[in-house]
Amino acid sequence: MSILDLLRTAFRSLNANALRAALTMLGVVIGVASVIAMLALGNGARAAVDATFKSLGANQIQIGQKFALQDGEYQPIGHKLTYTEGLEMIEASPLIERVDMSVRRTVKTRYGRSSLEIRATGNTAEALIALAADGTVQPVGWEAGAALAPQVFIGEGRFFSADEVLAGAPVCVFGYQTALDLFNGDNPIGATIWLERTRCTVIGVLAELESTDLEQRYQSDPNEALILPISTLIQTLYEEEPSIFMVAHASDANRIDEAKAQITDYLREKHAIQQDETDAYLDDFEMTTRKDILGQQQEAAQTFSMLLAAMASVSLIVGGIGIMNVMLVSVTERTREIGVRLAVGAKGRDIISQFLLEAVLLSASGGLAGVVLGILAIPLAATLNQGTALLLPESIPLSFGVALLTGVLFGLYPALRASRLDPIEALRYE
Amino acid sequence: MTVIRTEALTRTYQMGDTTVHALRAANLVVERGDFVALMGASGSGKSTLLSLLGLLDRPTSGSYWLEDVEVSTLGRNRLAELRGERIGFIFQNFNLLARIAAWENVALPLAYRGGTVGHGAQKKMAMESLARVGLAERAGHRPTELSGGQRQRVAIARALVTRPVVILADEPTGNLDSATGVEIMNLLHELHAEGVTIVMVTHDPVLARHATRVCAMRDGILSEA
Repeated sequence: MSILDLLRTAFRSLNANALRAALTMLGVVIGVASVIAMLALGNGARAAVDATFKSLGANQIQIGQKFALQDGEYQPIGHKLTYTEGLEMIEASPLIERVDMSVRRTVKTRYGRSSLEIRATGNTAEALIALAADGTVQPVGWEAGAALAPQVFIGEGRFFSADEVLAGAPVCVFGYQTALDLFNGDNPIGATIWLERTRCTVIGVLAELESTDLEQRYQSDPNEALILPISTLIQTLYEEEPSIFMVAHASDANRIDEAKAQITDYLREKHAIQQDETDAYLDDFEMTTRKDILGQQQEAAQTFSMLLAAMASVSLIVGGIGIMNVMLVSVTERTREIGVRLAVGAKGRDIISQFLLEAVLLSASGGLAGVVLGILAIPLAATLNQGTALLLPESIPLSFGVALLTGVLFGLYPALRASRLDPIEALRYE
Repeated sequence: MTVIRTEALTRTYQMGDTTVHALRAANLVVERGDFVALMGASGSGKSTLLSLLGLLDRPTSGSYWLEDVEVSTLGRNRLAELRGERIGFIFQNFNLLARIAAWENVALPLAYRGGTVGHGAQKKMAMESLARVGLAERAGHRPTELSGGQRQRVAIARALVTRPVVILADEPTGNLDSATGVEIMNLLHELHAEGVTIVMVTHDPVLARHATRVCAMRDGILSEA
C-alpha cells in the first residue's frame, strides 16, 4: 500500500474509535508534558544558580567561616576569619595577589546639625577594582558595554589608599545620594563628620551610579553608600572583631588549586585545626571556587537528568502499555478485516505497516499534544518553584522522540501478531 | 487454455490424535471460460478445496498449477501477490470493510499492488467495475447503507476489478433471500457469458444448473459428474 493509502486507513480507523484513541493518547500526553515541565524546572533552577555565581571569576576563591548545625540552628563554628588573617594570606601564599574583604554595619553619621543612619561598608583599597570587575553597576550615562576602569567610579576627590587601610586612617568616601542627603549642598570634600564617636574626614564622593541590570535598577540604590577602610570600621565601630567574608584573587587562574592549598595550610596552622581519627581535618572555614560550583552544578544536573530519565521511562512504559493494549484489542476486533485484506492481496508487511502506523499516529498525536500541554504548564511549574522555570529547547525533540519510540516499540508486537494471522481463520472469525 | 490444474491435491488436518482427510488426492482441471460448480454437503471438503485454489491455504501434498505457476510451495508473500493479481473472491458473507465506501472496498485489491496504481486510477477502475455490476450510483455509500444484494454486487465488483484469471465464489447466495439470490446468479451468469472463469461452491443443485461443469465432493473425494 502506498503511504498515502496507509495514512488514510490509519486515520479512518482511529477516527472510528475517537474516544478510545484519545484516552489511549492521554498516557503519552501526560508523560511528555511532565517531562517538558520538569526539564523546564531544572533549567530554570540552573539559570538562577548561574546568575548568582556569574560574578565569581575563575581566579577567585571565596573564603568564609564554616557554619554547622548546632542546637537546631546554623551557627558559625571555630575561629572567626579576621582582617589580619586576610592581610597575612597575601604573605602566606605567593599566588594570591589581593584579598577583597568587606564588613557592613549601620552607623549613625553626623555632619554639623544633620544626621543620618547609614549602612557603612568597610573595604580594602581595591574595592573600586572589584567594583569595576564585577560590572553590576556603572556611572549614569555610561555607554553600554564600554569597559569600566576603577577611576570612573569616583565623582569628586579620591578613594583611600592601601596605606590608609593598613593604618586604619579616619577617612571615608560617600555615595552620591548619601552625600547630597547629609551635606545639603555643602562641599563634602575635606569636611569632618562624626561616625558615632569617631571623627572622620571625607576624601571622596562616588560618581552617580546605576545598576547595569535593568531589573535591578529600581530595587537597590547603589548611590546610598558610605565606604571606609575596613580597618577603620573594625577598630572604631566594633567592640568585638567581626568574622569577615573574603574573596582571594590568584594571579593565575590555572594555579587556583595550588593557591587554595596554600591558604588552607595557612589557615589550618593559624586556627590550630585538629584531625579526626581518620586523619581528616576538622576545618572551621570554607572555600569555594567557580570550579567547585560548576562541579556541584554538574552533579546536580546529573542527578536531575537521572530523575528525568526515570520519569521518561515510566511515562514510556505506561503510555506504551496503553497503546499496546488498545492495539491488541483493535487487532482482535478487526481479525475479519485483516482476513479480507490478506485475501485481496495484502502482504504481511502491508498489515504490519497499517497497524504500526496507527500506533505511531497515536503516540505522535499524544506527543504533540503533550508538547503543547507541557509548554503551557511551564508557568504553573514556575509558581511551584518560586518563578524559575525556563523551557529547555532540547526537551521538545527529546520528549517527542521518546513518544514516537514508544509507539513503534509497543505497536510492533500487535502489528506482528496481525500480520501472522492465518487468512482462512481470519476470514472465518466471528 | 488451462487456468487451474491440480494433481493429487491433498489436505489433511491434525485434530488431536486423529488425522482428518479434508481433501484426498483431488485432480481438477479448469479451462478458461469454464463455470465449475463444486457441490457437496457441509464437511465434504469443498471449502477446503476452494481455499487451496484461492491460495489462502497450502496443500499437505500434491501439485497445483495456477496458469503456468506451480504454487503449492510458494512463500506467503508470493501467494499474497498471486491472490491479488489472479484471483477474485466472492464470499457468502460478502466480507466488505464496513468503515469505507463501496468504491473503496472495490479498489482495495488495487491498493495492495505495491503503490503501482495511483489513487485516481484506483477510483476510476473501481467505478468501472461497479458500473459493470450495475451499482455505479451507490459507489459513495458504505456497505452498512446497502442491501444484501447490493453488498454482494460490491463484492463481485471487487473480485472483478483486477481482471483475475478466475473468480472463486463460496456460496455467493447463501446469505440472500431467494429473489436476490436469483439476481446475483444472473449476474454471475452474465459475467461467465462475457468470458469470466468461475469456480463456485454450493450445496444447491438449482444454482449448479448455471454451471457448465459440476463436480461433486464427498468425504474429501472429488469426482466430476
